[in-house]
Amino acid sequence: MPVFKTPFNGYSVKFSPFYEDRLAVATSQNFGILGNGRLHVLSLSPNPSQPFTEIAAYDTADGIYDVSWSESHDSLVVAAVADGSVKLYDTALPPTSNPIRSLREHTREVHSADYNPLRRDSFLTSSWDDTVKLWTLDRPSSIRTFKEHSYCVYSAVWNPRHADVFASASGDCTLRVWDVREPSSTMVFPPHEFEVLTCDWNKYDDCIIATASVDKSIKIWDVRSFRVPIAVMNGHGYAVRKVRFSPHVRNLLVSCSYDMTVCVWDFMVEDALVSRYDHHTEFAVGVDMSVLVEGLMASTGWDELVYVWQHGTDPRAL
Amino acid sequence: FIFVVGVVGAEIGKTTNVDQQDAGEDAAKQSSKASVFVNTEPMREEQVQNAVKFLSHPKVRGSPVIYRRNFLEKKGLTKEEIDEAFRCVPDSQPSEQTAGANQANTPDVQRPAQSQALQPGVSGSTGVTTLSRTRYSFRWSHALIAVGFLVVSGAGTAILIKKSFLPRLKSWIRKIVLEEEYDQLERTDSKPTVAEEASQAAKAAAAAAAELAKANQEILTSTSEDRRYFADVVRLLDKQVQEMKLMTNEIRRLEASSGASYSRHEDYQVNQTSSKPFIVNGKRDYGQRSVTSSSQPASVEPSSAPHPKSYMEIMAMIQRGEKPSNIRDIDDSPPNPNQQPSNPRLAPRTKPWEASQVQQNSTPAFPSQLNVKDLNSSVLDNSDNAVPWWQAKNAGIREINNGVDTNVYGAASSQQPIKRTWVPPQPPPVVMSEAAEAIRRPKPLVQKEQTLDDSSDISDKVMKSSELSKSERPIEGSITNTVLGSAEILEES
Repeated sequence: MPVFKTPFNGYSVKFSPFYEDRLAVATSQNFGILGNGRLHVLSLSPNPSQPFTEIAAYDTADGIYDVSWSESHDSLVVAAVADGSVKLYDTALPPTSNPIRSLREHTREVHSADYNPLRRDSFLTSSWDDTVKLWTLDRPSSIRTFKEHSYCVYSAVWNPRHADVFASASGDCTLRVWDVREPSSTMVFPPHEFEVLTCDWNKYDDCIIATASVDKSIKIWDVRSFRVPIAVMNGHGYAVRKVRFSPHVRNLLVSCSYDMTVCVWDFMVEDALVSRYDHHTEFAVGVDMSVLVEGLMASTGWDELVYVWQHGTDPRAL
Repeated sequence: FIFVVGVVGAEIGKTTNVDQQDAGEDAAKQSSKASVFVNTEPMREEQVQNAVKFLSHPKVRGSPVIYRRNFLEKKGLTKEEIDEAFRCVPDSQPSEQTAGANQANTPDVQRPAQSQALQPGVSGSTGVTTLSRTRYSFRWSHALIAVGFLVVSGAGTAILIKKSFLPRLKSWIRKIVLEEEYDQLERTDSKPTVAEEASQAAKAAAAAAAELAKANQEILTSTSEDRRYFADVVRLLDKQVQEMKLMTNEIRRLEASSGASYSRHEDYQVNQTSSKPFIVNGKRDYGQRSVTSSSQPASVEPSSAPHPKSYMEIMAMIQRGEKPSNIRDIDDSPPNPNQQPSNPRLAPRTKPWEASQVQQNSTPAFPSQLNVKDLNSSVLDNSDNAVPWWQAKNAGIREINNGVDTNVYGAASSQQPIKRTWVPPQPPPVVMSEAAEAIRRPKPLVQKEQTLDDSSDISDKVMKSSELSKSERPIEGSITNTVLGSAEILEES
């Protein structure tokens, strides 16, 4: 069965942009409250009886909340660690050489990491210290710090078509759009009445962005007319933890929630819910869709399981 | 890409000094397309007025600027409207603090003055900051000075009375007594009455003196009481402020615990109350509050998700101050902080959205109608080694090399295949140091490969034509060249 059991509670899962069969999983002990963390790099094998091989596993003193693959180096991963550090791992180097970097600037938990898919040389980290930081691989300190939010920044995501534009979602209930060449954010609006936990850009329409919140809803916005959402998708029973637009289908997005389900939506359709997967037995906290294999998705949650399955199939099958 | 914030700046009626480096660029910028990631709405007067009223409220004056801004942002005001409101309210400090913090890491980043957040004269803003701060603290010192003045004046009058009035009284008494004595010499029979009168007068005088002394004491005590009362009032006000802060914290934690299931250690919110949030290893605050708040869901807010039992157990442990026993001491520091990452083995692959046309037909009913039977058969079919279980036959393998797409949405589909039009050439590899520079410099002149990815966007074509001319590196058409190219660049830089 295409399930991998992690020793700690899952927090995030990301497919590699270089290898179709590779993914990274961020986990934290004791639900991320207090404890160690572990970063798994898994490989999917064609053999159905042993679907996962662990290529590498890195232990950290504190929990890992997010992971991001480098877009320039096929073996590099960035880990967002709960002790405020950002760690870089090179899976091609022996474990004793890892991590290759530990960047310590955030003063609180680092909640997300995202690598620039266009410039391929820089990445963002967002933290509970209200800031977003921009880094490159070759510099030991951050290039920019973006400090405008008044509460935890849960997510910072690059625009897939504009190399210098990114959006940040924060617990201060606002979404901010930034351009790294500008000294301050270029747009700010409140997509939800409650904390915005996640956001993601549409890959095919550069102005469309999805946000999801503690208020259980997912909203799709066009930043050019941000007063009214394009679509509002209700259906989750609890807070929505993560949304990801499909890299292959323009209108499709996937979400995971504290209601333990992973849902796929088509926001252009009246009845937006396309599929619902309830394979997790605890909060579903991380979800991703593969850029290289169409329809391939992965999810992880506090039930310490990582599932990889094709959209339209049962994750627990086989 | 050149994002013209000047469009917004013009709305506010300020001159936009966009590029300090190149005057020619300025003209080019004004004429080029406006960025879509900027608010183009005009300012709404009504919202600005409401914001000004809000900011002028005395209670709001006392709160940190960033919360005032956040409140207005949550109400849906745009940055321009918020900045305008801050400008209209004379005492308050607008976003210079945050804008200043944004520049903290990059001393060499130039601050173009076109941003509406940077008001004319940042130095003036810091002056306003100190002014508002001093004015706030000024009130307390003012009060102290007033109290001190009262005390001094009270003491002064007491001293004056003691020094001047009493002697005068005494001399007056003495005078009377002398007069009495003198009268006594003249009228011996009226001695007793005179003496009585004198003694009575003396008594009266003494009584008056005593009363005066008492009055003095009263003045002194009243001033000290005043002082104490004042201090009490100050303390009560303080407590009230703390209460209010606590309440807002509670609300925040309610929200936080119901959603993200962690609460925040409000260390910069001057939390001086008795229930100090406990710190475990100097870390997150998972205080009692978060647990209790999750058990009392507010009617207005979304209900908190029920947490797993073991989660609650761990929370309880931590509240008691116990550390869960399964935590190991791990040294996760890099063995060699200067370790170079290994050389990449693969070139970056183009993304599906870069390879295909922008105006792609949306495909509703995506392979959720996929035939599960087919999938099962493909997996169980061991003879078919070419297809791993996670690449379902029906969905097809999407191998994007040089933009060539071998398979499309699925055999089961009657859906349309992706329209193959012009496939962009392989972009040149990343030049790390140059790109980092580009990020640092506002409106960099040299853009690298990313502009070439976005070929179908019309605006990009305008950009490309202006920037390709400045590009030093010709476009490389094949993947293999990029690997060599990166080596070249590394040598160059």
